[in-house]
Amino acid sequence: MTLSIEDAAPRGQAAARRPDLRRMLAAPGAAALLAILGTVALWELAARVLGIPGYLLPAPSAIFATFPSIGAARWGSHVWATLRVALTGFGLAIAIAVPLAVALVRSPVLNRTLYPLLVIVQSTPVVAIAPIIIVVLGAGDAPRIVITTLICFFPLVVSTATGLAATPPELIELSKSLRAPPIREITQIRLPFAVPYIFSALKISVTLSVIGAVVAEFCASDAGVGYFIQFSTSMFKLPQAWAGLFVLAAMSLALFQAVVLAQRLLFPWSLPRKP
Amino acid sequence: MTCKTFLLAALGGTLAASAALAGEPVTFQLDWLPGGDKAPIYVCIDQGFCAAAGLDVTIASGRGSSDAISRLAAGSSDIGMADLGAVMAAKAQEDVAVTGVMSVFNKGPHAFYTVKDTGFDSVADAKGRRIATSPFTSSNVYLPLVLEDAGLSESDLELTKADAGALGPMLMTGQVDGIVAWMTDLSRYQGQGRAAGREIVALPWSAAGLDLYSASLIAGDGFLAGHPDRAERFVAAFRKSVDFCRTNPEEAAQSVVNMVPELELDDVLASLNDALPLIFNEVTAEDGLGVFEPGRLAETWGRVAKAQGLEEAAADPESFVSRAYLAGGEG
Amino acid sequence: MQPPPAIRFDRLGQVFETRSGRVEALRNVSFEVARHEFLAVLGPSGCGKSTLLRMIAGLLQPSSGAVEVFGRRVTGPREDIGIVFQKPTLLPWATVEENVTFPLRHKRGRAGRPDRERAQALLRMVGLEGFGKRLPDELSGGMQQRVGIARALLMDPDILLMDEPFSALDALTREEMGFDLLRIFGERPKTVVFITHSVSEAALLADRVLVMTGRPGRVMTELPVPVARPRGRETIEDPAVTGLAAQLRNLLLQREAA
Repeated sequence: MTLSIEDAAPRGQAAARRPDLRRMLAAPGAAALLAILGTVALWELAARVLGIPGYLLPAPSAIFATFPSIGAARWGSHVWATLRVALTGFGLAIAIAVPLAVALVRSPVLNRTLYPLLVIVQSTPVVAIAPIIIVVLGAGDAPRIVITTLICFFPLVVSTATGLAATPPELIELSKSLRAPPIREITQIRLPFAVPYIFSALKISVTLSVIGAVVAEFCASDAGVGYFIQFSTSMFKLPQAWAGLFVLAAMSLALFQAVVLAQRLLFPWSLPRKP
Repeated sequence: MTCKTFLLAALGGTLAASAALAGEPVTFQLDWLPGGDKAPIYVCIDQGFCAAAGLDVTIASGRGSSDAISRLAAGSSDIGMADLGAVMAAKAQEDVAVTGVMSVFNKGPHAFYTVKDTGFDSVADAKGRRIATSPFTSSNVYLPLVLEDAGLSESDLELTKADAGALGPMLMTGQVDGIVAWMTDLSRYQGQGRAAGREIVALPWSAAGLDLYSASLIAGDGFLAGHPDRAERFVAAFRKSVDFCRTNPEEAAQSVVNMVPELELDDVLASLNDALPLIFNEVTAEDGLGVFEPGRLAETWGRVAKAQGLEEAAADPESFVSRAYLAGGEG
Repeated sequence: MQPPPAIRFDRLGQVFETRSGRVEALRNVSFEVARHEFLAVLGPSGCGKSTLLRMIAGLLQPSSGAVEVFGRRVTGPREDIGIVFQKPTLLPWATVEENVTFPLRHKRGRAGRPDRERAQALLRMVGLEGFGKRLPDELSGGMQQRVGIARALLMDPDILLMDEPFSALDALTREEMGFDLLRIFGERPKTVVFITHSVSEAALLADRVLVMTGRPGRVMTELPVPVARPRGRETIEDPAVTGLAAQLRNLLLQREAA
């Protein structure tokens, strides 16, 4: 992805106030958009001049032509099927990862026993166990959600645990000297201090959740953008498959930006200060 | 369409559908993605044969015969399509709890696809050629057998594995001399060939002596034991649907498109027409539609056992199927 | 009967088990701090000064000997003690006022209106009136440390422990903060244990200076500061203060030479 991790909006707005071309180009969003448009234009040119056959690499014009022919309702149903699984799996991953990270930080015994187990789970390729999960959990969203959760929860656990442990030790001593209930050490000190760590993991995990949903759809599904791509490929409708790929990329990007936006709105103090 | 209205519409549609089809539930397992060669089950639902039999059928797509078989055995699906050879191998080796209840393809769909006038005109011509196949197709099981019948072995050809979607382009661009694919894809490959300025021909393995039952209706043993009556009614409705596909192929193709709007009518019809000769042929004329004829069944098992390196005497071919659910199947 | 001293160390020793073996941090440390006395502790790095503070706060138990606070042996964390750390360590997401009320919110779960009013008064006292709604990273280092001091004073503790509180500040701010401390404790006397590396800071602020040796830390000597209170800017020029500073510097230099 070519968009920079740095959020584009504040500087983008500043540039909009003064319509200066150099400033507009300096905005990361504008530069990324230009890079994307340039790539597409070059691709179209190459497809036409070099005469690359459509079944090898369809021209962008052929790909975009499939969008209206599929229709908004069918795109909507595929996007919703994938989004539903990705977001539920992502939500479940957060719901498991954060308490698990708290447990790992609180208990050295758990840390020693559970952590190696997590590493084993993580180093098992989910793609390989996905068919097994589907056989065990049967039809419906459940196996796809589990696969998505498995793919995106590990970075969350590790990052949250790191964040919880990175709290200034002085504040932990302060908490101890106040003899405050231990739960408040987590909620009022450790978790807030972990917010920047959690969000950097959320940014990774949210794009992984789309990958997870697609992997699951490749194994078993009757709807979704991943299914649509696989289906289109098997029907030799390559431009349609590429269109699905573009939609997936757009979904990942939108989800990533949604996380960036959520951090900016909910936890502005957790962002690095701009010079 | 906003998300909410879409949700409401979807919910409304589901409610309406379940109200109209308040029959006994059956989950049908495809062995691959939807397509014209899978038309009968879409006909059964869209033309109302399933509903008339008091059944509310939902379709689950699959990713190959072994995927379909494991889901049937696990009970997440009730009845569906899979290659009978794969069922035999699975039952002989792992005693998987599924049973064949009706034959659909009584010839193997397996074939070599080549470009016309390149000197690759028969299976025997495969010697020394570059050939690509998909890693998961059941055709791979039979490849050594069809080669052996032609006096060849796998070491005589340069075999590469590639994703199913990449096989066509590899053939068109001349990266390989031939590919292994199913007869049900004939029209698609020929259409793709025309776009690339190549004429594609198929060399079906059945023509080279590989005569066997292939795609069949397979049921999970749990479903058969729990709902024998439902299974029997389903098989009858399915058989009626298969017949409908032969007599009304255009309408059958339209039924598929009605239920899977991503497909185009022409493609579906072409694929259905490619599949029909595997269902209706001289064997069907002699034995009847859906029948497992003991001699051909034993022949199929003999081929599978040899291909898998199993003892042919280790299993009775009759143990892989049941004729109890196909009305008139005994005769 | 004589009231017990605010803090009493009785033949205290501390040994840490580390990966590289046993480390003796403190040996046979005995001293007392009277109520409302300001004691500065001077000593080379690693002499166990911070360990002394942790033991008073009850965050650490000694290997041998005992610590008493107001005549009672310290066995666990005590909440009647305020701590000011070397770094301000404020909560970056909370306003200045919320940071000051943090100990109460942390202990009880919330802070009421009287607590907020108290925080306002403390902020006025440390010279941060009108900054209550700011976030910590909008303040300079010196201002942040003032918030830290206000936070330590919130519960109105009898004892205030300060662990090199000004060491991260520039020289000018540091001097300014010293004068502010003189004023604050002039208004509101406290028992203070103040750890520092600066001999002039110790001589300016303290009633008594405790000089410690290098590892294992022991009490080398105790010197009273012969200057009456109230002290102010002119005190820094007082010959008694400069003389004591010179004496302390010599003690520390001798020690290093030896």
